[in-house]
Amino acid sequence: MRAEIKKIEEMMEAAEYVTDPAIAMSVHLAMTLKKPLLIEGHAGVGKTEVAKVMAKMLETSLIRLQCYEGLDAAQALYEWNYPKQLLHIKLEESTSHSLTEKEAAIFSPPFLIKRPLLQAISETGTPPVLLIDEIDRADEEFEAFLLEVLSEFQVTIPEIGTIKATQPPYVILTSNRIRELSDALRRRCLYLWIDFPGFEKEVRIVTRKVPGVNERLAREISRFMETVRTIRLAKVPGVAETLDWAQALTSLHADHLDEELVAETLGCVVKDADDVKRLKRELTTGGIARFVAAQS
Amino acid sequence: MAVARDLTRAMLGFGATLRASGLPVTTGALMDAVRALEMVDLMDRAQVYLALRTVLVSRMEEQPAFDRCFEAFWKFQADDGQGLDGLVAAVQPRGSEEEPPTGGMEGAQQKQAQIALEDWDEGEAQEGEPLEVPGQSDREMLMEHDFSTFPVEQLDEVARLTVQIAKRLARRVSRRRKPTRRGGVVDLRRSMRANLTRGEIIELRRRSRRRRKVRLVLLCDVSGSMDLYSRFLLQFLYALQNVFGRVETFTFATRLTRVSELLRGPSYKSALRRLTEVRDWSGGTRIGDSLRDFNREWGHLVNRRTIVLVLSDGWDTGEPEVLAQEMLSLKRRAGRVIWLNPLLGNPSYEPLTRGMAAALPLVDHFAAAHNLASLRELAGHLTIR
Repeated sequence: MRAEIKKIEEMMEAAEYVTDPAIAMSVHLAMTLKKPLLIEGHAGVGKTEVAKVMAKMLETSLIRLQCYEGLDAAQALYEWNYPKQLLHIKLEESTSHSLTEKEAAIFSPPFLIKRPLLQAISETGTPPVLLIDEIDRADEEFEAFLLEVLSEFQVTIPEIGTIKATQPPYVILTSNRIRELSDALRRRCLYLWIDFPGFEKEVRIVTRKVPGVNERLAREISRFMETVRTIRLAKVPGVAETLDWAQALTSLHADHLDEELVAETLGCVVKDADDVKRLKRELTTGGIARFVAAQS
Repeated sequence: MAVARDLTRAMLGFGATLRASGLPVTTGALMDAVRALEMVDLMDRAQVYLALRTVLVSRMEEQPAFDRCFEAFWKFQADDGQGLDGLVAAVQPRGSEEEPPTGGMEGAQQKQAQIALEDWDEGEAQEGEPLEVPGQSDREMLMEHDFSTFPVEQLDEVARLTVQIAKRLARRVSRRRKPTRRGGVVDLRRSMRANLTRGEIIELRRRSRRRRKVRLVLLCDVSGSMDLYSRFLLQFLYALQNVFGRVETFTFATRLTRVSELLRGPSYKSALRRLTEVRDWSGGTRIGDSLRDFNREWGHLVNRRTIVLVLSDGWDTGEPEVLAQEMLSLKRRAGRVIWLNPLLGNPSYEPLTRGMAAALPLVDHFAAAHNLASLRELAGHLTIR
């Protein structure tokens, strides 16, 4: 194994992030090839975490752009500080400055509010990590605009001029696949699909993140979750649910799973009324044994 | 640098394999792949695999196809060991004798690369015959297979997937047509500019989004084998429904039936089943006559904001002249005319039937709609430029 990748794995583990070779490889390539990394996967598998850990590893700042419906270029790039501009015009009313001078004054950097994208581009020093979170929530036009910014890493503000990144930021995009992303954006990015963790990885995550959980319980929980995810539910539980549940069980001083305990705490695992019903039915017919049976 | 050149050559070969399996790989991506390989240990198969996957795969669904291509292209015997051992064993006879290893890190690395490359070249050497890539699997199979090849018990699963894909696509289109509050939002940037000389904002500039929905008219052939395809198309388009202003549906075999009302209810699924009842069984398809009926009675439904979709195999027992004439009349008024022919999914199919030949020149877009992948692609054509 290449030393750099090994090191990334170690650093990720040190930053309390349980990783695997695929994740480490994509981070390694995103850093060395300097290409944006698109991460897809179900909710709660740790997509956003990758960016946070990356910033921590590189000892640089994390700039986050949370996407939502209706997000537009102004909110992502820059905005003029309108109240301040208005105030300035008022104060200048009695002075003898010419219109051109007034205009130059209010459209100068002190009146500029930098939004995440501009912030990431204009940062001097070590390049930051730019996290564009849940890009699938933004509109398609925004995606096209983003594509432009990501390929040039420069922004033109008519009143000030062109700002170009001295060193392009590291870019991580995440998507929950609510909406199909365009092929153009996909082509621009490296790609990583994070699946639900396998049994061994989930055991590691649980023992790592939930202090006081014993080995047997961690294994039983992970096995249970693995089985639950094979049932067709409205909302398949992610790692966040696993951790919530493990936390709850530990605070009840449980050291293994039994039917009663599971029935009482099922609300931590599935959060949809129909899913709870469904799972209860499965539990009464198959018994808990079915869920933790494959235990080694 | 010779290494880099060989890598490039090998990657181009690999790219051809991927494209043959339907992965849209650009040359730019292949160049990135070469750079990526320089960042990893070429002797480590797992690393090479992960690096190439990260660069060349761009959606989860492509992964199985990529895996198969990788297996096929990089074929050294896995039983000889996973990484270094297997690789060296597989290429030892040719690679290493002529060039004794030079000393130092650099030399060693270069040699590694060369050994690994012998393998890549092997893949490329067989350019004449297509590389054997094993068959498809599960979900991917659902995407690519013709609807008519599924066993009856699997149809429900396929239908579920159809709706799922349509919904995802609907989100993509519908958002940008979302209505905004009356008058739209205040555009401060432009308001400031407009009122610069006045010292305060007197006149507000606003912006709103344009909202123009497209209307759909579906004409579905339900004679014989077309029935199944019509059902999937209907299911798909109805799940996309909120994207369109209005969907009007007609079925035809020998005569035209309007089924829009039937499909509009909440029990849409059972309505779909009831479609069989309105079917006429009198045999033969009279596309031209059906279109004429449509133009005469329902012509007012079609304008520049309308997309007309005709789903049929083009087997017309009527006169092709009638079909051509009615198609022309449709094309004049509609924003776009799309003909879907599931037989087009068969690579050896040629649109030679008299009906098809007559209609084809008058069609804006001709596509298959025979499987899920082609339905997904269809969604991209449902706009009026």
